[in-house]
Amino acid sequence: MIGAAICIFVFYLGLILSLFYFVGGKGFWEALINPYTLFSIRLSLIAATIATFFAVIIGLPSAYALSRFEFMGKRIVDTFLEIPMIISPIALGASFLVFFNTPLGELIQRKGILFVFEVPGIILAQFASIAGLATRLMKASLDEISPRYEAVARSLGSSSWQAFYRITLPLSFKGLLASVILSWAKAFGEFGATVTIAGAMPGKTETMPIAIFTALASANIEKAIVLILILVFFGLATLYGVRMTGKGYRYD
Amino acid sequence: MIRVEGLTILFESFRLMDFHVEIEEGEFHFLLGPTGVGKTLILESITGLHKPQKGMIWIGEKKVQDIPPEQREISYVPQDLTLFPHLKVKENILYGIKAKNLNLQAYEEYVQALIQVMKIEHLLERYPANLSGGEKKRVALLRALAPRPKLLLLDEPLSGLDPSIKIEIQQLLKTLHASFHPTVLCVTHDFEDAYLLGDKITIFIDGKIEQVGKRDDIFLRPKSKKVAQFLGLKNLFRAKVLGREEELQRLILNVNGLQFSIPESLYPDQIGVGKEVDLFIRPEEVMIIREGKSVKDSLKRNLFEGEIFDITDRGRYHVVNFQTRVEKIPFEISIPNYAFRNLGLSVGKVVKVALREESLWVMW
Repeated sequence: MIGAAICIFVFYLGLILSLFYFVGGKGFWEALINPYTLFSIRLSLIAATIATFFAVIIGLPSAYALSRFEFMGKRIVDTFLEIPMIISPIALGASFLVFFNTPLGELIQRKGILFVFEVPGIILAQFASIAGLATRLMKASLDEISPRYEAVARSLGSSSWQAFYRITLPLSFKGLLASVILSWAKAFGEFGATVTIAGAMPGKTETMPIAIFTALASANIEKAIVLILILVFFGLATLYGVRMTGKGYRYD
Repeated sequence: MIRVEGLTILFESFRLMDFHVEIEEGEFHFLLGPTGVGKTLILESITGLHKPQKGMIWIGEKKVQDIPPEQREISYVPQDLTLFPHLKVKENILYGIKAKNLNLQAYEEYVQALIQVMKIEHLLERYPANLSGGEKKRVALLRALAPRPKLLLLDEPLSGLDPSIKIEIQQLLKTLHASFHPTVLCVTHDFEDAYLLGDKITIFIDGKIEQVGKRDDIFLRPKSKKVAQFLGLKNLFRAKVLGREEELQRLILNVNGLQFSIPESLYPDQIGVGKEVDLFIRPEEVMIIREGKSVKDSLKRNLFEGEIFDITDRGRYHVVNFQTRVEKIPFEISIPNYAFRNLGLSVGKVVKVALREESLWVMW
């Protein structure tokens, strides 16, 4: 069994190490300092952060409601959280394209914000991919904290909001933080829905995963490797961050 | 005074209809009933954490059933205590005072006195994870009392403790109540706790209040066989009222051929001749008459000869199982150790036992 675990480790490590076969060539360094590469890194970081921010703003109260209350349609809402996990990201992106061609979608585009082939489209695609996941992960963190803590806090004089931020939030903070980091990582690496809504315009809507795709499509191996390595670096840093959040408090 | 009236709770399979309880200021009131009868739900409804279908709750003259828990001035100590694990003991204790924006200085002396009574001075800088079971109980009690609630609700405060710790917490609760006189409603299934600590007890069985009364009323004079059985009372017999001794104002009861005499004056509601009743004799009120010792006239009315068939040493007292010679009626008799040693009892010995009339109790 330990052998199997080592095999998986060697498999992934080998995959990453194989990238270094092309590292160091002239094209590699050029690709690294290329303004379009730097743009796609910056765009990915900003878009993923904004998308995660919105996912938390909406996901945290949703997670709390799903964790603490019984209400009509709770199971249906709970099931819908998994929609982005079960349908293909391209299908998700295509659904948005269809939506923006409906009268309501056109109205939003005309009078509100332009999404199709624009940066807000990237954020929307990433948000759609992670909102359900973020809610599900945060709900799991909140589920670990007994509602009795809040009940006692309320009997001691805290309002429901005070009981949440003085008791539940600090107790579940590490779990919530890990949920946010993982959601951010998923948004950062999102490709299918993003490319469908926002397209692949270098210097405008080209995020890192899209840039890898276009680099490969145009046989620019060095650029693809640079971007993959950066993506791997952020991915590993994220996972390390999640590990660092460690275990929570010992509960009674 | 705290009053709960017409409390109706329908929750999943649990149904409670029209529950009521009255608690005087400074009273230690026990809600005593078997496990699984919804006692915790009653507490949660009073504290506002569960919304009952119906019911009124008064704290003094103030109706509180429609206001949120944080405004009710009712502190709640659940069975699992739920000390806040991310806060030190000191922060846990002061939580209520800070949450209510009370003046910390005004409460300092009182909280210090509580800390001293509860003997937790050395624990203030610790986190709950580093406390023993007994220490956690003490901190949870103190945290609940610190903001001076109008009512303190305790859910099985003495369950899950080692016997020695349990005795210690019982004593602390007693001292705490004697020193600070909080108004307490405590739910438990343990009648020993209720007996030791309760001023007043409500017996709650199968969703119904069976009896409310002072401690001695409940334990010495249970209202029904159901209550007596729940309290684990021994020496319960089915009896029939044989007749009345008009001159002595006494009733004669028959238990399988053995006759007992009880004073009529104890029962304001008349018990008719021929009625089937339940007779209860307290094991600690049965006297074994020492050989050669004369018996007072008042005891002669319920004097029986028989044989000891079993003796059990229960540590602080002995339980002697006795059987009357006539009709073979078995009694359980509790005797303190010092008395037991003087009596020289052994299995098989023939002795006489006398029952004080007041120690007999009839339920119908």
